[in-house]
Amino acid sequence: MKEFEDIRIKWQNQANKQAPNNGAKKVIEKTRRLKSGQRLTSIILSITVAILVIFFFYVKAYSMQTMTIGLGIMILSVIVRILMELLSLRQLKQIKYDLSLGKFKEEMIAYYKVRLRTHYIFTPIILVLYVIGFVILMPLFKSALSTGFYTYIKVSGLIVLVVGAYLIFMQIKKELFVLRSLIA
Amino acid sequence: MRQTQFDTIYKENYPKVIRLCMGYTNGNESQAQDLTQDVFIKVWENLGDFKNHSALSTWIYRITVNTCLMSLRKKKKLRLSNNLPMHVESNNDSHSESREQQFIQLYGCIDKLSENSKTIILLALEGLPQKEIAEIVGVKHEAIRVRLHRIKNELTKCVKK
Repeated sequence: MKEFEDIRIKWQNQANKQAPNNGAKKVIEKTRRLKSGQRLTSIILSITVAILVIFFFYVKAYSMQTMTIGLGIMILSVIVRILMELLSLRQLKQIKYDLSLGKFKEEMIAYYKVRLRTHYIFTPIILVLYVIGFVILMPLFKSALSTGFYTYIKVSGLIVLVVGAYLIFMQIKKELFVLRSLIA
Repeated sequence: MRQTQFDTIYKENYPKVIRLCMGYTNGNESQAQDLTQDVFIKVWENLGDFKNHSALSTWIYRITVNTCLMSLRKKKKLRLSNNLPMHVESNNDSHSESREQQFIQLYGCIDKLSENSKTIILLALEGLPQKEIAEIVGVKHEAIRVRLHRIKNELTKCVKK
């Protein structure tokens, strides 16, 4: 493979590159599976929101001011986070893959910049609000629950927070890497 | 009707798409197959939006380039592949060994190029005219001509080593 023309001919003559049997059918089936998976995610998120709202009324959180504020802040921060994620997914889906490479890169860079702004500004605010809500509820838990169960809630709350923060950090790192490679 | 049309598109364009994907995956065939499937999922989903502003193959090449580059950005960088196509691996005669070496070297040389240069040279290897490459990459025809000349020299020199 000395000259470019020679390389090109060998490149195009690579054998065994024929379409597999039923390949098109498999693509269509996978598309259907992906779409039902996306529908399932939306359903799960909607159910999560519904459960949180039902829980709020079930424990009659509205009857106690501290509980209303604490639980309200926690539920609202989760709902806002879910809505932001759904909106972001919708924006990503709107970017067309049949654009020219230059235009596609521009749109992806814009998308990831918004994502990172969200991560840097809104995610910490949401996380802090969630913690504030949790802290507001702590005295109520202490007075209503046994010492063992109260300790369990305290420890598990802290673990959830640490794990959540770590997952968010990893996600930011990943998206920052993608953005850097887009700009490079 | 739409499925029959897609079936034809799939069969006709599969070899081009998988070759291009293999260029991006450093010759890793299984990863290229996954990318090829992702490309055709997008083709199937957006087939209704295809307007005849460009050739169908140009439209598919655009989807391929964007899908491959975007997927690979999300994954760690690949090492030089030991997973060459089956037909190359299974034959032990000296001719196929030398052919295998040539392809390892070629994929390695392509992998050394920048993302844009890689795209330009892969499309040139597919035999696309400069005008079409310019349309896919999104730069002016003149700019592609100069860059393509430089990248071709770079690749040929690297392969000769």
